[in-house]
Amino acid sequence: MKRRWAMVIDMDLCTGCGACVAACVAENNTPTVGESEAGKGRLMQWIRVVRYFRKEEHDETRAIYVATPCMHCEKAPCEIVCPVYATYHDEDDHVNAMVYNRCIGTRYCGNNCPYSVRVFNWWDYKREKPLDEQLNPDLTVRSRGVMEKCSYCIQRIRRGKETALKEDRPIRDGEVLPACAQTCPPGAIRFGDLDDPESAVSRMMKDPRRFRLMEHLGTEPSTVYLKKMRGPGR
Amino acid sequence: MKIENHLSRLDESKLYDELSRSNLPATKRWYAGTGALLLVVLASVAVFVYMMFTGLGVTGLNRPVMWGVMIILFVFWVGLSHSGTLISAILRITRATWRAPVLRGAEAMTALALMVGGLYPLMHLGRNWRFYYILPYPSERQLWPNFRSPLLWDAVAITTYLTGSLLFLYFGMIPDLAIARDRATGWRKKLYTFLAAGFRGTHEEWRRYHVASTLFAVIIIPVAVSVHSIVSWDFAMAMVPMWHSTIFAPYFVAGAIYSGIAGVIAVMVILRKAFRLEKVLTPDHFDNLGKLLLTFTLVWGYFYFSDYLTAWYSRFPEDWEVIRSYSGHYLPLFSLLVACNFLIPFPLLCLKRVRQSIPAMFAVSLVVNVGMFTERVQIVVPSLARRNDPSIWATYFPTWVEISFIIGSIAMFALIYVIFSKLFPVVAISDVKEQLFHTTDRTIGGANLSTVVSGEGKEEGRET
Amino acid sequence: MRTGEPRVVIGLFDGVEKAAQAAHALRSLPLPEENVTTISSVPLPDGAVTRDRRPIRFPWIVVVFWLAGALGGLALTLVTYQVYPMITAGKPINTVPPAIIVSFEGGMFAALIATLVLGFRSIGLGPFRSGRKVFDRRIHEGKIALCARVDTGEQERLAIEAMNASGGDAVRAEEGEL
Repeated sequence: MKRRWAMVIDMDLCTGCGACVAACVAENNTPTVGESEAGKGRLMQWIRVVRYFRKEEHDETRAIYVATPCMHCEKAPCEIVCPVYATYHDEDDHVNAMVYNRCIGTRYCGNNCPYSVRVFNWWDYKREKPLDEQLNPDLTVRSRGVMEKCSYCIQRIRRGKETALKEDRPIRDGEVLPACAQTCPPGAIRFGDLDDPESAVSRMMKDPRRFRLMEHLGTEPSTVYLKKMRGPGR
Repeated sequence: MKIENHLSRLDESKLYDELSRSNLPATKRWYAGTGALLLVVLASVAVFVYMMFTGLGVTGLNRPVMWGVMIILFVFWVGLSHSGTLISAILRITRATWRAPVLRGAEAMTALALMVGGLYPLMHLGRNWRFYYILPYPSERQLWPNFRSPLLWDAVAITTYLTGSLLFLYFGMIPDLAIARDRATGWRKKLYTFLAAGFRGTHEEWRRYHVASTLFAVIIIPVAVSVHSIVSWDFAMAMVPMWHSTIFAPYFVAGAIYSGIAGVIAVMVILRKAFRLEKVLTPDHFDNLGKLLLTFTLVWGYFYFSDYLTAWYSRFPEDWEVIRSYSGHYLPLFSLLVACNFLIPFPLLCLKRVRQSIPAMFAVSLVVNVGMFTERVQIVVPSLARRNDPSIWATYFPTWVEISFIIGSIAMFALIYVIFSKLFPVVAISDVKEQLFHTTDRTIGGANLSTVVSGEGKEEGRET
Repeated sequence: MRTGEPRVVIGLFDGVEKAAQAAHALRSLPLPEENVTTISSVPLPDGAVTRDRRPIRFPWIVVVFWLAGALGGLALTLVTYQVYPMITAGKPINTVPPAIIVSFEGGMFAALIATLVLGFRSIGLGPFRSGRKVFDRRIHEGKIALCARVDTGEQERLAIEAMNASGGDAVRAEEGEL
């Protein structure tokens, strides 16, 4: 059965706590690169919480947090430039799929993503014992030289689909959640199937606060945001 | 009345000896120099193997600057390879009379620079050992490569250009190889006999040879233009600010020819000194090359200004941040670029005194090459370092690994060129002889001039 | 000596003028034009000493090979897109501009190889060599060799005479082909 997975991030609710980042790292076998590598710009986290400050006159400095996972664009600029089809658009789930064992590491997709959500394995990251017992067996540990990015926790999507198929029922809204959506304490990250008219994301898509990052580029992202409301007390 | 041509004044075997000095048996000094170059190349290869086994983290690359020195070297060397195509092919077709001594050196530069440049797309891969996924072969995965990707167009174009330039080089050498065959002994004779493929020089052979040479030249020019356009499209197809520009294809081709001419001048100066070719490579040749270089200084400046102007004027926010960095963090790079590519060469090349002075031309050509390398850096790095999302802006500086690649590439080019010049005639002797054959002296009034014949004869056998 | 078996008379001349004179003498023997040729280290203008009237057609065959290569490039892109369809960036399965680029390069590649092979064939080099060809290494010293295919006997004698009369050196008859 075809689905259109989408993610809605409500910036009114986001506190910038970064729990989504921690959850994603735990779920997806993301390596921890260390302070010096992070300083060089080689963080491996698939979702980042961007913090922008805003100072207006006669007002205190405010911060706005933009949690940026992969946008899973319908017209993903990363897909078309890969010479070996290591990334393509999965038509059954409408997500941007990344195939690690096909990637030869040209890094063109990383250059072509305007949101810069793609990261590259610059080294073979070692996990000293007992940290290797923390790894999630549902997905691979990537070798050096391949690109990786947020996959909407495709392993959870697959498991949810299999379970639903086995139990001969449709997937319930909220049953399949990526790690970030599951963890977010204020519930700012919502995930679901756009083809299901009753799902939470379908309703939130109609919200007038809805906007897409860098919408003018025409990438048609599946990850949308709900604008933070401003005003007294907010 | 018989008009004596310049060739008949010379002893042809002495002329051959003079022009083929590079092919004398190798001396100890040659072995020492070549050995040193080989050591540098091997060291560079060792560094590459280290990088392959350790990971690309040993370079200075990061997110968002995912392309760095290796891609810069790729574009630089492919650009340098446009030298031979311009000099050899275009001058052949337009029958410019001064082309003869420069042809072989330029054609060799094309093929050899391509060999060096073509390595870098393979070296910069994260998983180099899986490079064959790019090749279209039927596999169990039911996947073919993605021809929509500019990198695939690169693969096709570089293959075609490399094959073409090697064939062009070889075919152009055949008459010279025939002369070498007839004068060599031992293993060299066997080599030249095989390569000369039985060329003798009958009238019919020469005519067909000219047609085939011209055909090669006619085919290789569009290939050269398309190759660097495709290389430029690696950048232009991307959604990166200041990369996504329609002018990139002609801009890159012009820049490539520019750096190629500068490269040819530099190589010619070295060849002239090393093999004592002062009589064939005269200041007039460098004057003409200098005029070409001046033309392309202006052409490059024109394209660069057009590209900069459109981005600067409309101030699209993404482009503007990159342009702002040119006067900020990347000001030294930008200044070096403008100085070396335009401000220094342009006034100097306007002066005939500079163009006819060989040390000055050598210096100017090196300045231009430095400038063109800087231009490649300027294109690749600031656009990535200051791209769309400011939260991930980073800087890039090459590490010792990448610096060793730069040095290694120059050493590799020099090494292959030195070996080439030792084995094969590095001056197009047959073309030089043909030019001399067509040159006669004429007295017009009180002036003694040398005139060059061109064209085919008329029915009566008189030359026009 | 069997009469009628073709042999080649070859003589060396010091300059174009002498060679032209000898060629004129040979033509008035009479010897047909296509049986006389020069061997020289510089290409002589057509008609200076001899004239080559055989048409050169192989460039047109190179065009055919260009088309074949271009079709190969087209097949590589469009056909394989049909056989292995993958959606990328919402672009159509059959994309035209990349097909144009790859077809162009494929055509050029085929044309380059064809030029070499057909050029070799037309000149008669490499694997296309046939028979024992006459040659004289002294052409590299500036001499022009004039060669004429003659029948043994009277024609051969007359040719040798004509060449000697025009000032040729080392005029002799050899077995071989032009």
